[in-house]
Amino acid sequence: MENLITRGRLAALAFAVGTAVLATTAVGATDVTDIGTLDQSVLGSIPAFQSANRQLQQYGATLQKQYLARAQHASQADQQKLASEFQAKMSDKQRALVGPLMQKAQIAVASVASSKNLSVVLDKRMVVVGGQNITGNVRDLLTGIGDPVPPVSTPPPSHVGFVDQQQIDATPKVKAASDDFVQFKAQQDKIFGDKLKSAHTDADRDAVLKDYRKTLDDRQNATLKPVIDQTRSAIADVARSKGLVLVVDRADIIYGGTDITSDVTAKLK
Amino acid sequence: MIRGARSIAGSLAAVAAAALLSSCARPAPAPPGSNAIGYVDMTLLVQKHPLYDQLARYDRSLEAFDLSQTVPQAGVPDAELRRREAELERELHDAADRTQKLLDQKQQQYQTQEQQAIAAALRGAGFGGPSAAQIAGSVTSTAQQQQSTVATQVQHDYNSYRETLQSQDRAQMIAAQKALAARADRTYRAQAEQLQAKESALSLQLASADAPTRLALKTKLSSLALDDATREDAQKQLQDLDRKEADQVAAMRNRDQQTLAALQTQLKAQVQRDLDTQIASISKRSLTSLAQRQKTLAAQITPFSANAVGTKGQVNPSLPAPLRARIQQLHDDYQKRFQSDAKTTIADFQKTREDLSRRYAELHGIDAGADSGAQAQIADLKRKRDDLYGEITGQIDREVKLIAQQRGISVVLSDVVAPAGGVDLTPDALKDIESLHQ
Repeated sequence: MENLITRGRLAALAFAVGTAVLATTAVGATDVTDIGTLDQSVLGSIPAFQSANRQLQQYGATLQKQYLARAQHASQADQQKLASEFQAKMSDKQRALVGPLMQKAQIAVASVASSKNLSVVLDKRMVVVGGQNITGNVRDLLTGIGDPVPPVSTPPPSHVGFVDQQQIDATPKVKAASDDFVQFKAQQDKIFGDKLKSAHTDADRDAVLKDYRKTLDDRQNATLKPVIDQTRSAIADVARSKGLVLVVDRADIIYGGTDITSDVTAKLK
Repeated sequence: MIRGARSIAGSLAAVAAAALLSSCARPAPAPPGSNAIGYVDMTLLVQKHPLYDQLARYDRSLEAFDLSQTVPQAGVPDAELRRREAELERELHDAADRTQKLLDQKQQQYQTQEQQAIAAALRGAGFGGPSAAQIAGSVTSTAQQQQSTVATQVQHDYNSYRETLQSQDRAQMIAAQKALAARADRTYRAQAEQLQAKESALSLQLASADAPTRLALKTKLSSLALDDATREDAQKQLQDLDRKEADQVAAMRNRDQQTLAALQTQLKAQVQRDLDTQIASISKRSLTSLAQRQKTLAAQITPFSANAVGTKGQVNPSLPAPLRARIQQLHDDYQKRFQSDAKTTIADFQKTREDLSRRYAELHGIDAGADSGAQAQIADLKRKRDDLYGEITGQIDREVKLIAQQRGISVVLSDVVAPAGGVDLTPDALKDIESLHQ
């Protein structure tokens, strides 16, 4: 199931990596004191989250067993349907178990960010240098007595923009290119899987895997790269027109930021 | 790919948090302020890191697992095992049928024997019919014939059972050999990877330690106003530095090769020992099963032979009381013997079924054990891969921090989707990372 999820996100990941290399030498004159960071793994270690995660893992293990039992004699198409069905069940359970905690955490982040006048809070993993780390404040609010109080004001305007990668992936051109690649990859997986079976030495296996990687890279460059370039250019244009300095993926934004997804998708049509 | 690696490394809660927290209210955009913000292309930097080869090796190993478990990934039982299981079921079913026939035959035989014994008893008491000697002779002959038929059938079942056990033994031994070899291979690879990682780490550590000296020497060499002697001296120092590092790494590599060779010998011996133990255990189990089976079958034949003569019949109330009692006793006796015989035969086949099913379950156990071993190996590889990735990005982060300080940049992000402004620190960071190779 995890593999299906991972493969589903493949195009998005490739896209994100590709778009990260847009070169520019312009120096942004930006107020960087209003950027906050949050280490989400610390929040994950709060007992309430750990308990919810344990329950979720147990549920996942049960689902996995059920999936294997049902998928054992199913066709490939049916297995994919089953995988979607079980994935949806898992998401529902996640919402039910973790949702209320997340809501509370969301209010805590907004409250701390507002008190520190932050315009955006980013996932700590993407911040190499700087930013105000608000993890401790948020954790204290979440583990303290009583529920955190939502801030009165909305976040101030931010010079950090973001796009919803999933929405951009769903635009016709990007989707066609990623579907093509995913299909190609599935074919190659089978071909190289067979080759791997007949490779007897480490050197043979290594050669097969290198060939596999090269085949995928070549195809990616041929089909995905032109679309990636086009999309990257559209994102950069929209960002510049709105006076933004950087654009990140929505998944990295925890609070605030400027959403330019709709402008980008409109430009891509 | 890098984003993926970082995201996967995060906890489930963290991922969920990102998705849900990101839905906070967002304002209208506004113009930037007054400070500089930078970014780096972490993917590129990781690819240029001296330890990237090691990371790529882990990725390829993980990819190999992905490829060898191509979709569908459900746990489909091995086709050969299923075929054997079906064969076993069929064989046992046939054996059960034969047992039933045997029981019918025995029932018939016991009835005949009983009737003959009763007739003999009647004649012995002077109630007519053939003489007692004639009846005894006839009964013995019939009993011998019956014994021969049953013994042949029993021997046939025994042979069939033995062949099945032998076939299972062979399959178990092959599976055991495969599992042990795979385990040894995993141990060897893990050790080789660990040593390789240490070699890479040492290489990196030495390069990092010598980086300032190397940089100073290179700067010196790039000076045009350097006299020949000083230039030669600087070049020599640089060569010495390279040689010193190469020697240390080579020494470590030699030691590692020796360690690996010793490990390989040790693993081979270990596999052989374990295999011998398992083969001995399998053979012992089979021999025990066969011995038990033989004992049961022998017991099944012997009483039949020893009690071939008996009596049976409707007890006529007009007969004298002692004769009626004798006939009743003969009837009870044969009934009891038949029931006991039948019970033994049925129990014996049930035991055979249970025994073979257990053997198959063990076969599946070996198979499942190999699967769980592979899962453990994947988890171990992922952990090592994540640890190494963490080390690489940790070092890159430190380099980037220094560069940011030098250039007066307060915030640096990685994995940006599109930089519309900001300072790209990737080229500077690349230079620093690449200098680690030298």
